[in-house]
Amino acid sequence: MSVKYVPVQWNPNKYVYDAVLLASVVLYIFVFLELGTAAADVTQPINGAIVRMRAFGSCAFLMLSVILAIGPLARLDRRFLPLLYNRRHFGVMTFAVALTHAVYVLGWYFAFSPTDPLVALLTANTAYGQVLGFPFEVLGIAALLVLAILAATSHDFWLSFLSPPLWKALHLLIYPAYAAAVAHVALGYLQDATNPAFALLFGGAVLTVGALHLAAWLRAPAEPTTADDWVMAGDAGDIPDGRAIVVRISPTERAAVFRNGRTLSAVSNACAHQNGPLGEGRIVYGCITCPWHGFQYRPEDGCSPAPFTEKVPTYDLKLEGRTVLVRRTAHPPGTRVEPTPLPEDVA
Amino acid sequence: MVATLLQIAEVYLWIGAAVAAVFLLWGIDRVEPNAAGAFVFRPLLIPGILLIWPLVLWRWWVLTRGETGVRRHRPPRRVQHAVAIVLALAIPVILMGALLVRQNRPLERPAVLLAPPAAAPAAEGEAGQ
Repeated sequence: MSVKYVPVQWNPNKYVYDAVLLASVVLYIFVFLELGTAAADVTQPINGAIVRMRAFGSCAFLMLSVILAIGPLARLDRRFLPLLYNRRHFGVMTFAVALTHAVYVLGWYFAFSPTDPLVALLTANTAYGQVLGFPFEVLGIAALLVLAILAATSHDFWLSFLSPPLWKALHLLIYPAYAAAVAHVALGYLQDATNPAFALLFGGAVLTVGALHLAAWLRAPAEPTTADDWVMAGDAGDIPDGRAIVVRISPTERAAVFRNGRTLSAVSNACAHQNGPLGEGRIVYGCITCPWHGFQYRPEDGCSPAPFTEKVPTYDLKLEGRTVLVRRTAHPPGTRVEPTPLPEDVA
Repeated sequence: MVATLLQIAEVYLWIGAAVAAVFLLWGIDRVEPNAAGAFVFRPLLIPGILLIWPLVLWRWWVLTRGETGVRRHRPPRRVQHAVAIVLALAIPVILMGALLVRQNRPLERPAVLLAPPAAAPAAEGEAGQ
């Protein structure tokens, strides 16, 4: 199945998503610029350049917080999944906003420095051995660098070229980057802020992100501990026609059990194209259809219909009453497994 | 020290630019079938190659030798869970630590902007000069 690369993959949903995102950013910056000067510190009146850098910096931080909240939210409630599928555009826009913040910082505080602005920024404070007065700028630079890497490798090409596991591992850098950004704000602006509004917003955002990750972790399906080769997937009656339930086979592997009319079949949950979540897709014209890019597979053998050549692993299924069991050991991609008929009372 | 590090970073980026030129004009067509005949998207790849060119060279080499597809179905989920939990625990530590080292507490009396002292009347001797 060939999809020639284009600069940006847009569809009507992504147009709406990006438009809402852009409008939200513009609105936030506008409101901050209108209210920011009056609400700023009382000891020193601040000028427009500082308000602008704070507007973009706080906006980027809140955007990053939302990005990190989307993942656990989607795991806790499937209605948030559309936000997850479009998250890459969100990330690129966050990098652009964060970069604007950094440019304002360099252009204001080091505008007339005789040395290179970046050298001046990194050498102005070298008290790395203390918490109070720590050069928090390097934490922001580290977070910005990670955001740059993630934004620059967000195109579909990178997912395919690096391979989904490596791409995913690279993009896990978002977690230490967020920790660095939290420390950047906490050791920077939060140290001398006198207006509690931003401190409350900041604290609320970071604690929400942490709490959502903990909640999603607690709600995650437990890893099957039985030594048995069969893993319980659930009640056959819980699988809507044309849809799937996802079962955790091992810490790194999940299977999607699809109902196709009166039969059940199980395939790997990871699409062969870019590891999209097949179990969140549905059966269209008899083929499992990936929700990310529409790659299709036959339920019974995990093969894309001719002339396409993609294949995913398949699994054996059996029923104990109405309970669906999946064999842990996957068949090689493209292996045919006879579909399992549904119990009479379910069918 | 910092200037040296920035010079190293500059050299790194220049090497990345050379890798980008060779890869986008020649190598990409050999390892990525979906890039064949697609040229408009290629400039978008330049920033990524500049930043992670050692990884690009390594993947280029792996794909040229031929890669088995087994690992493609096993994303690193266990690592993601662990990293997310570490982050969730680190956030309150960072937040509370930063608030603890803060020199003035939130409930302290707010600072007052002092007015500049009134101009003293000029001395008679100075006025005559």
